[in-house]
Amino acid sequence: MGSSKNSKLNSESIVGEDEYQDQSIGTELTRTDINKMAWRSLLLQASFNYERMQAAGWLYGLLPALNKIHTNKEDLSKAMKGHMGFLNTHPFLVTFVMGIILAMERSKQNVSSIQSTKIAIGAPMGGVGDAMFWLTLLPICGGIGADLALNGSIMGAVVFFLLFNVVHFSLRFGLAHYAYRMGVSAIPIIKANTKKVAHAASIVGMTVIGALVATYVNLSTTLEITAGDAVVKIQADVIDKLMPAFLPLLYTLTMFALVKRGWSPVRLIVLTVTLAVVGKFAGFL
Amino acid sequence: MEISLLQAFMLGILAFIAGLDLFNGLTHMHRPVVLGPIVGFILGDLQTGILVGGTLELVWMGLAPLAGAQPPNVIIGTVVGAAFAISTGVSADVAVGIAVPFAVAVQMGITFLFSAMAPMMSKCDRMAENADIKGIEKVNYMALLVLGSFYFLWAFLPIHFGAEHAGAMVEALPETLIDGLGVAGGIMPAIGFAVLMKIMMKNAYIPYFILGFVGAAWLELPILAIAGAALAMALIDFMKKSEPVQIKNEEAEDGI
Repeated sequence: MGSSKNSKLNSESIVGEDEYQDQSIGTELTRTDINKMAWRSLLLQASFNYERMQAAGWLYGLLPALNKIHTNKEDLSKAMKGHMGFLNTHPFLVTFVMGIILAMERSKQNVSSIQSTKIAIGAPMGGVGDAMFWLTLLPICGGIGADLALNGSIMGAVVFFLLFNVVHFSLRFGLAHYAYRMGVSAIPIIKANTKKVAHAASIVGMTVIGALVATYVNLSTTLEITAGDAVVKIQADVIDKLMPAFLPLLYTLTMFALVKRGWSPVRLIVLTVTLAVVGKFAGFL
Repeated sequence: MEISLLQAFMLGILAFIAGLDLFNGLTHMHRPVVLGPIVGFILGDLQTGILVGGTLELVWMGLAPLAGAQPPNVIIGTVVGAAFAISTGVSADVAVGIAVPFAVAVQMGITFLFSAMAPMMSKCDRMAENADIKGIEKVNYMALLVLGSFYFLWAFLPIHFGAEHAGAMVEALPETLIDGLGVAGGIMPAIGFAVLMKIMMKNAYIPYFILGFVGAAWLELPILAIAGAALAMALIDFMKKSEPVQIKNEEAEDGI
């Protein structure tokens, strides 16, 4: 981790940016706290956007519990800053990730291990959840409902709504409690091997981020080179053959370099939007 | 059948609620099979609403927002489509045809909203810095209000003014600009990843980042498969290091 210039004057330098100052285990979270988190998880995508996706909605879900765990304001701020990081997980299975993360927060794991775990568990949930809910549960419930409706029965709407939501809400709340308990019981093992667990979580986290860059960043060029009769499409004939997702990787690494040089995300957004609109008008995107 | 101002307003409110449910709440009351009867009830023809809802459910089945991609908007498609089907008596399939331009326009609008929300994230970063819980909550509530109002307008206007007039509004949108925003939306996660990498990236993790990228870009493996392989690597690393550590046993015991 690069150290910032003013950190030696800061009291934080003793503890380190990554660790919580107050290392004592936080207040036990009750069933009510976990239920509250599960209710709030319904707004996971309230402030969805293309830069961080569900980050602010995710933080919204955790806030009451975080506030209870981190009585020290600086620790709360550290936790909140960490949870503003990019997240895209499945909106139905999110409580499973939240439960585990809250158990880790409560035992005051390092910010970077918590964030690595969040990505390592949260990101792969997307595929699982899509298969479970949108490709299985929804077509089944929708099929039954539509069949009844086409026979002119209002029961189509009722059956669909009840069937879908019984599964939906039992999973949402069940997973929240299950994951939190599981997280809490795993904490002694994690505590005994803090550094190694953090390292292992980062390995999974960074691998998944590498994969996400190739999957979630969509950037391709429509450029063509005409040499006599031959038309070479840069994207299909050159980039895709040599290195698919080359442009997304290049762009992400450029952004990474700029972030490290202190560019604010707002400047990067303005840069990105300008580039995209100009590129579209000029015809190379 | 004429649709009164009050009815158009109520259909707008219905679109407001259903629009929020599409991404938040997810009770799926926004599906045509549920929305159809409600539209029918508001317009005073429950029976037609049920039938149109059932038809549209089959049309839209399988169209769900997968991995951030935007399918034609089911809510505007259903509310506007069912309202036309009930008021004019055309079949549900024809009504969908009328509703599709609006469903597409709403899709573009959502792309725009999701881009416009991005700059708010830096504001949230500052709120997080100050441990401003109320601020973060307010951002989420405001975003819901904006999204819902957007749905309200796109249901209310076409229903109140009629499809022909509203159709002209859709065509007035500069397409290249909207496309450009769509492209920007596709690239924007790169900024999110960059911020994340600033927190998590150490030199020791570069090889794993490369492996993940190779797995997704060339091998086109699902993220779950890549995470599984990464877990195996992490476990190997976790177990391997437990032996050499014993040489520095005293240090380790100190730590505990």
